Amino acid sequence: MDAPMRWLFAPVPLGRVAAFRTLVYAFVALDLTVFTPWVRSHANTPGDLYQPLLVGRILHLPTPTPLLVWTVFWALLVLAVAAATGRAPRALGWAVFALYFEWMIIAMSYGKVDHDRVGLLVALAVLPTVGRARHGDLSLSERAGWALRVTQIAVICTYFLAALAKLRFGGIDWLTSAVLAQAIIRRGTWLADHIAVVPGLLIAAQFGIILFELLSPLIWVIPQKWRNWGVAFFYSFHVMTFSMITISFAPHLAAMASFLPLEKVRPIEWVRRRSPRPARLSPSRARRAG
Amino acid sequence: MAANELTVRGRRVRVVATLVAGALLLAGTFWGVDDDFPFGPFRMYSTAPDPNGDAKDTRVEGVDTAGRTVAITEGNSGIRRAEIEGQQSAYESDPARLSQIADAYASHSPGAAPLRTVKIVIRWHGIEHARPTGDYRDEVVAEWTRP
Repeated sequence: MDAPMRWLFAPVPLGRVAAFRTLVYAFVALDLTVFTPWVRSHANTPGDLYQPLLVGRILHLPTPTPLLVWTVFWALLVLAVAAATGRAPRALGWAVFALYFEWMIIAMSYGKVDHDRVGLLVALAVLPTVGRARHGDLSLSERAGWALRVTQIAVICTYFLAALAKLRFGGIDWLTSAVLAQAIIRRGTWLADHIAVVPGLLIAAQFGIILFELLSPLIWVIPQKWRNWGVAFFYSFHVMTFSMITISFAPHLAAMASFLPLEKVRPIEWVRRRSPRPARLSPSRARRAG
Repeated sequence: MAANELTVRGRRVRVVATLVAGALLLAGTFWGVDDDFPFGPFRMYSTAPDPNGDAKDTRVEGVDTAGRTVAITEGNSGIRRAEIEGQQSAYESDPARLSQIADAYASHSPGAAPLRTVKIVIRWHGIEHARPTGDYRDEVVAEWTRP
């Protein structure tokens, strides 16, 4: 097998996918309720404001009505919570993917398309292909490896291709333009308003952003011991963005966890180990303990 | 050795899926538009506004029957600012469309006094050397009052 194939299918512990799966499906439930609650309001957005996306026209998807929006909402919420448990990974996984995709088409068909969730959509599309995966299982799997790898690729594409899009739409002038000044005027926080007035700082930040986006694929090249620091740097970039212009890119952040050794994160196991298990005590021991 | 080794076919299907999705995303980046979601270009903040031009900050305001000015937000109307901006020219050519925002506000903010007037206001902020100057002026681009 040649090197690109070995890289694409590099096996990872099944427990990593189990943890990532729980994280991603829990995120979908939170996305519905907390992060992008405005999608629901399209239930009673007037129908003539609906401008269906290409994919919605190809698939002949119906104009959202209150019934459609609320049906998708509740079905997705229930199925995502069920999928987060890891049960029926294929059936629940495909159902969540299909419903979330429709949910996104409802979200983006009213005049504004967001660019923060390609990584999450890829994760939802590939997680069902892994099949069963138990939390804490350290046996290596190529299916799991491919699923996480392509999610990572989508996450890095979100940076790298964004740099190319800046060159396409803004050109090289983007570097010295007023793009960040405008963003801060529109939605800047107190912190951003104070930083924006420092001469040259926003321009320097623009050079930094392009550089970071173009170099982001190096995350796969740097030595393993520094990789988590690289991912931490990605997350810190979004902390900064959020503190300046309150844009969180939350779905992208969830997908980016595909880089992390999540099989080591076992919160339920930790709680179990720490607390006594009264159910396991025999009645006599329970009396003594009480 | 990996626990669940892939078959030749399983591997081939995955390679093809990876290449097709990658090619679509790449094509979307160079030639696509937002309409091609999810394969459109990642064009968030990709324009290059004039470092010495005015910056546009759009807001929607309502005046309720009690004479109070209310900022119309996603929270109280369910409509995002970017969605109003995306369809701004439609509101400009037919300000009566703003009545739909009053309706959306009424259904999202039950108990609030109904809106008598809705308007789209652009605040133009001065920019010099890619920095805000602190000066601004307001321009009303569309206004509707309940007949």
